[in-house]
Amino acid sequence: MTEVSPLFSLRDVSKRYGAVEALTGVDLDVYSGDVIAICGDNGAGKSTLIKVLSGAEIASGGEIMLAGRRMHFRSPQDALAQGVATIYQDLALAPRLSITANIFMGAELTRPLLGRFLRVLDKARMAKQAEAYLKRLAVSIDDMSTPVERLSGGQRQAVAISRALRWNANVIIMDEPTAALGVRETAMVLDLIRRLRETRHTVVLISHNMADVVAVATRVAILKSGRKVFDTPIDGMSAGRLAGLIMSGGQ
Amino acid sequence: MSRQPAAGSPPRIAAILQRYGTALAGAGVITFFLVMAPNFSSPGNLLNIVKETSFLAILALGFALALTVSELDLSIADIASLAAVTAGWCIQAGQSPGIAVAAALAIGTALGAANGFGVTVLKVPSLIMTLGTAAIAKGISFYITQGVAFVGRWPEGFTGIARGATFGVSNLIWSLVLVGIFCLFLMKSTQTGAHMTATGEAEEAARLAGIATKSMKRLGMILAGVLAGITAILLAANLSSAAPNMAGDFFLYAIAAVLLGMTMFEPGHPNVPGTVLSALVLKSLGNGLVLLGAPYYAQDIVLGAVIIGSVALSAGFMQNAAFKV
Repeated sequence: MTEVSPLFSLRDVSKRYGAVEALTGVDLDVYSGDVIAICGDNGAGKSTLIKVLSGAEIASGGEIMLAGRRMHFRSPQDALAQGVATIYQDLALAPRLSITANIFMGAELTRPLLGRFLRVLDKARMAKQAEAYLKRLAVSIDDMSTPVERLSGGQRQAVAISRALRWNANVIIMDEPTAALGVRETAMVLDLIRRLRETRHTVVLISHNMADVVAVATRVAILKSGRKVFDTPIDGMSAGRLAGLIMSGGQ
Repeated sequence: MSRQPAAGSPPRIAAILQRYGTALAGAGVITFFLVMAPNFSSPGNLLNIVKETSFLAILALGFALALTVSELDLSIADIASLAAVTAGWCIQAGQSPGIAVAAALAIGTALGAANGFGVTVLKVPSLIMTLGTAAIAKGISFYITQGVAFVGRWPEGFTGIARGATFGVSNLIWSLVLVGIFCLFLMKSTQTGAHMTATGEAEEAARLAGIATKSMKRLGMILAGVLAGITAILLAANLSSAAPNMAGDFFLYAIAAVLLGMTMFEPGHPNVPGTVLSALVLKSLGNGLVLLGAPYYAQDIVLGAVIIGSVALSAGFMQNAAFKV
């Protein structure tokens, strides 16, 4: 990595739930355009780390720096406003609403009607932009009014990513994006992640699937019992070697 | 990656039937009565059906707006009765029609807001909250009237709201047109409508997208109350009387209109054209059955069948939609 300053950094981040220490002294530097995979066994602290990063939980200690500024995310909306979007495992989509409605949910485009007094939804512009967002991910669907429930798993993932792009997110956190997907759909989602990387978006990827991680990630950080035990560029690492590192706790 | 169709698009004819099948069936029912039922097609009878439809459709649109934010409002009819009684009380006390109208709207708004408060702040499921509100509204109606209807020669300024005509068209029809356009515009063309829909469809996703979901739920329930208030004014003005439980007969019809409406135009979603057309079909059905000499209770049986049938028919579309309590 040639850049000097990281896009975001965690310094000594910890998170306690009562007496349980879910994260302890985690340091992490993530650079623009990185696809960093967070790996670890169940209970290693991956989900807690993501929750802290996404604003869903507030860290008990330490600090999060984004583009050199200290952040205090109190909610996912706070994180979103700073360009950090999380795509949850269930994608947080409204299945029966259209692709356009999902991509623009909560941030609909409007145009004036009757001068400045009344604004109405600008459906044509939203549909056009929705199509353009999907096109940036090399996904093309015929009809933007299609309900999301009629899309394949990979197409849904593309809609969720498009929504993050719509929010101008430059850090996209993806929680198990290929879980429960078939081979073809998984390949599609990995392609989406590569596209994000090409457009200099930073992706934080949580995955149990070692083959996926070595296929798209540029770096991997391994957590064990709430501590970061390993942090390395992928550089041609095999899935088997990565699995070994996770099981041995980075030894 | 090549251009892809959505994975599960239904074939074209099936899609058209899904969207308009019950609407066509409804039109078929009306046509049947036009041909078969004596006097059904007389101008007087048709006007009567359309007038009855306006009360029902306006009340039902309130239920539809609450259902849009995924809440059941079972208090609409009792709120409407209380609002009517309040308006009647004002008129009997010699207040101006303007005051009576304002009082009825205030009652509707206040009880709608109370429902919204109960659901979003006290976390009482809407089914329970609105049942409670219904019982309270009914009790207050009886208290105000002491169980006797307010009847009298009411000023034309009040009765004209329903009995009068503007540009040769009954004010009742104008009221339905205006309320219908307002609801359609709100739901289809405004950001608020989009936020209400998103809240009802996927509350957690909407919240994560920054939508004020609790405010949207309150708004849906307040609008249901306001429309109950408008229905009350029209009912009281049309009859120049107000009695406790006067809107009670509309309750099941209103629910049936919304549910039947959800089987057409936008299957699975409460929608304005579906609700209004279903209200017309249900009122025609009731009227036609009477004219064909069917016994009074046949209407209730048909109504129950319509309620169950429309939900069964659209069960596939409704899976995770409206009926969380």
